[in-house]
Amino acid sequence: MNCEEYRLAIAADPSREDGNAHAAACPHCRAHRDELRALDRRIGRALQISVPELRMPDLPDVDTSSVVALPARRRFTSPAWLAVAATLVLAAFVGIRMIGDNVTYASLADEIVAHLDHEPYALRVTDEPVSERRLAKVVPAEVASMNHDAGLITYAQTCVINGKKVPHLVIQGEHGPVTILLLPDEAVDDAVELEGESINGVLLPVGGGSVAIIGEKDEKLESIRQNVMNSVTWST
Amino acid sequence: MNSSDAEATRRQKFDELVAVYHQDMYRYAAWLSRDRTVAEDVVQESLLRAWKSLDALRDAPAAKHWLLTIVRRENARYFERRRLETVDVDNLTPSQEALLADQPDHELDDVRAAIYRLDDDYREPLVLQVLMGYSTNEIAELMGLKQGAVLTRLHRARLKLREDIVEETAPGQMK
Repeated sequence: MNCEEYRLAIAADPSREDGNAHAAACPHCRAHRDELRALDRRIGRALQISVPELRMPDLPDVDTSSVVALPARRRFTSPAWLAVAATLVLAAFVGIRMIGDNVTYASLADEIVAHLDHEPYALRVTDEPVSERRLAKVVPAEVASMNHDAGLITYAQTCVINGKKVPHLVIQGEHGPVTILLLPDEAVDDAVELEGESINGVLLPVGGGSVAIIGEKDEKLESIRQNVMNSVTWST
Repeated sequence: MNSSDAEATRRQKFDELVAVYHQDMYRYAAWLSRDRTVAEDVVQESLLRAWKSLDALRDAPAAKHWLLTIVRRENARYFERRRLETVDVDNLTPSQEALLADQPDHELDDVRAAIYRLDDDYREPLVLQVLMGYSTNEIAELMGLKQGAVLTRLHRARLKLREDIVEETAPGQMK
């Protein structure tokens, strides 16, 4: 580590210790580090503003039966190329369902599966989350309230399913991207399995609406289904 | 456990969280918004949100991050609703002034004013790192940035503060 590298690093985090060997050997950098640490102590004290007494808002009764959660962040256990390959197979599979703009579907489940082909770029393997601003735009407060603790959401887009605009999200599962469609206006009586050559999924009844979860064939949706129980609350 | 017991347990869990993290929530909101009154509103809304989605919090150690994320989003919502204009440091409202005038301390006044003047993009990661003790990875996750971008912002934030503060301070006067 040279002086320039050390100074860049220490300005980003004056508490870091991994450049101590350089600082020990370079009095100028050591003085620079000490100066920044002193500055940080002042910044810390300046930020410690007084806090007014807590005013607890009126807390409403909460109906926990209408709460759904998105899965938490996961690490891949299979290589990324495998997920990409699976995604390509998935896109090819759902592609044959699309016949044209005026296509009709036998069921909501058919339309959901076919919809995946509308936005194949959503099914990319990535570790880059969508911004909070984007997420808030796609999942507006009047539709649902989403707990951002949910995990790595890598795609968010407003889409049309059965003539209604709905949030289309993608998270990263164990075996590749997992699509989640929030369908507050689509009530279903029971869980509907969504199956295909390379996918498996489920349409779950949630409150007065439903949530579709679709992953790769080998994706363990049971664990996701369990996790999908807290971070979205229908607003309507 | 019957439903009233469950509700009491839920409320107790919430109260414990608020007792521990209320100060962090308020200070984060105050430095995001640079306005004490706005910060109180944002915290109120955040507490309501947190209450409604409390069952989403399964991992107690993640509570601080979860709550600060809610505060961050509520702050963004607030400013989207109000579409406030850019703050003019020379023409502050009383509640904005109140942040700068907090616990008057001549030694810290210039630091607070310099932090106040920082762009949002630089001030927020600095607050998260120095005040909240966040790592650069955690800041990147919360702000939806790559770690490199966070490091750059922190670096520039300190250089800017140093320009504003240190150059006005004679050598040897820093505490």
